[in-house]
Amino acid sequence: MDDPCCFQYTVLKEKQRDEIGLIPCPEARYNRSPIVLVENKLGVESWCVKFLLPYVHNKLLLYRTRKQRLNKDELIDVTCTLLLLNPDFTTAWNVRKELILSGTLNPVKDLHLGKLALTKFPKSPETWIHRRWVLQQLIQEASLSSFVTKGNLGIVPAERTQRIIQEEMEVCGEAAGRYPSNYNAWSHRIWVLQHLAKLDIKILLDELSSTKQWASMHISDHSGFHYRQFLLKSLISQTAVDSSVLEQNSLRSKPKDEEATDSVEEPRVNLTHLLEKEVEFCTDLIDSYPGHETLWCHRRHVFYLQHRLSGRFPHSLTHLSPADCPGGTLNDLHLIPTSPQESQAMEVDGLNESSKQGYSQETKRLKRTPASDSLGLEMEHRFIDQVLSTCRNAEQARYANAYRRWLVTLSQ
Amino acid sequence: MKLYSLSVLYKSEPKAVLLKAAYDVSSFSFFQRSSVQEFMTFTSELIVERSAKGSRASVKEQEYLCHVYVRNDSLAGVVIADSEYPSRVAFTLLEKVLDEFSEQVDRIDWPVGTPATIQYTALDGHLSRYQNPREADPMSKVQAELDETKIILHNTMESLLERGEKLDDLVSKSEVLGTQSKAFYKTARKQNSCCAIM
Repeated sequence: MDDPCCFQYTVLKEKQRDEIGLIPCPEARYNRSPIVLVENKLGVESWCVKFLLPYVHNKLLLYRTRKQRLNKDELIDVTCTLLLLNPDFTTAWNVRKELILSGTLNPVKDLHLGKLALTKFPKSPETWIHRRWVLQQLIQEASLSSFVTKGNLGIVPAERTQRIIQEEMEVCGEAAGRYPSNYNAWSHRIWVLQHLAKLDIKILLDELSSTKQWASMHISDHSGFHYRQFLLKSLISQTAVDSSVLEQNSLRSKPKDEEATDSVEEPRVNLTHLLEKEVEFCTDLIDSYPGHETLWCHRRHVFYLQHRLSGRFPHSLTHLSPADCPGGTLNDLHLIPTSPQESQAMEVDGLNESSKQGYSQETKRLKRTPASDSLGLEMEHRFIDQVLSTCRNAEQARYANAYRRWLVTLSQ
Repeated sequence: MKLYSLSVLYKSEPKAVLLKAAYDVSSFSFFQRSSVQEFMTFTSELIVERSAKGSRASVKEQEYLCHVYVRNDSLAGVVIADSEYPSRVAFTLLEKVLDEFSEQVDRIDWPVGTPATIQYTALDGHLSRYQNPREADPMSKVQAELDETKIILHNTMESLLERGEKLDDLVSKSEVLGTQSKAFYKTARKQNSCCAIM
């Protein structure tokens, strides 16, 4: 009977392992180990899985039902083996939660384990869910120093938090590359920005520029473009927050209040410019790669943001109330950063495409929009004309026409 | 947006002869790479065998698109890409490669050549450069002279086969595919690979 010991020994040095994989090998050969290690990639020959998996699975269940004792090292080994074979086995993650809470297991180990599991199972929901739990543990541990005030920059994430955030961005990026439109990976990425980075403007801007190249090479990755929409929306809301905070503070200036004496000099965000650049980016992709619906959806979102933005400037610094938000699209916009103790519920699902219900509220505002906005509409119509007159791709024509119809309903 | 392989072949009767190939399997998980490469060779040969001289076609198979151009002189090229990669650029690449190849390699060598004997080294460079279509082919936005309606579209590999022919049979009889690749094919066929544990 295969003892998972040989597996554990190799996996124990998992910090150096950067990938796991299954090697299709229906029969055992020569009585040798099914574990194959090449250049830090850990492979398991498939023939052994049907022995190994039930064995460790059973072992864990016996422990759970108190029929068999396991010491902490054994628990760590067994859960590790299980999770690398099937990372959606919640019980195994939960056992590890208990080990973490009792101080027996370093939570960082679970980040490594999760990262490794994601190389083979980039969507695994339980892995992402556990990862968020671990991150919250880490942040709570260091809650006093998660954020620091840094001179003119106001409140920024501490260096340790920054490193964690960067690592998460990388893990998400890798997982996104391993599976098309990896919703779970991109949602996690959004969660990290909301809960660990607190929608820090500099980080949002960095993310916007660093994911641009990726997006241009994954033009039908809807989740990737949805991420950019999230970044833009968050930049809009966070800029509004800072402006209104400034206004409030200037009305009741307290000498000791750091925010009043130091003007918040974080990167000046020219939202109009950002949105224009995004439209340009989108146009460029639509022209280069005809017939990709994702790009047209993205265009709708960006146009809609421009539309809303021009309706708001320059006087409406009042907060965005839910009543203003069509179709619940703004559930994720925090005016006040959430505290780590709040629920880790995923608010990403609030981000829907501009739904039809929104239009009635929008139309009232549309009648008040400044002239610059109908200019925007005109430009869009011209863009559509240009596409239709030159494209030869049937799908491209279809998307262009659908976009036109959408614009028309917007202005009715 | 990815290119996975670029091959030059000669359409002999009844089989196609692989003359030169370049692969990029870096986006596949480590232990799948050799199998994937073998499959791409297998697929390229099969497509050329089942395509007429003087034709261009795009064959869809799962999330891959195989673009083939068989010239009237039986020289053929196959590009295997994902569904994001613009097919116009793929065909531009094929045309360019076959032109260059026929200038550098004597016609006499084509029917009997192998990747080991053929003296043509530019393929890896082309594959790498064309990973980014806009950099490799900046004029790709400009409408190509190629009439896109002449490209035959196949929705599956199956549609290339003769009546009664099964892909499974061709796979198991293939000399290009190793035992591991054949095992890989069998398991992938059996299960929906996105949910598989094994």
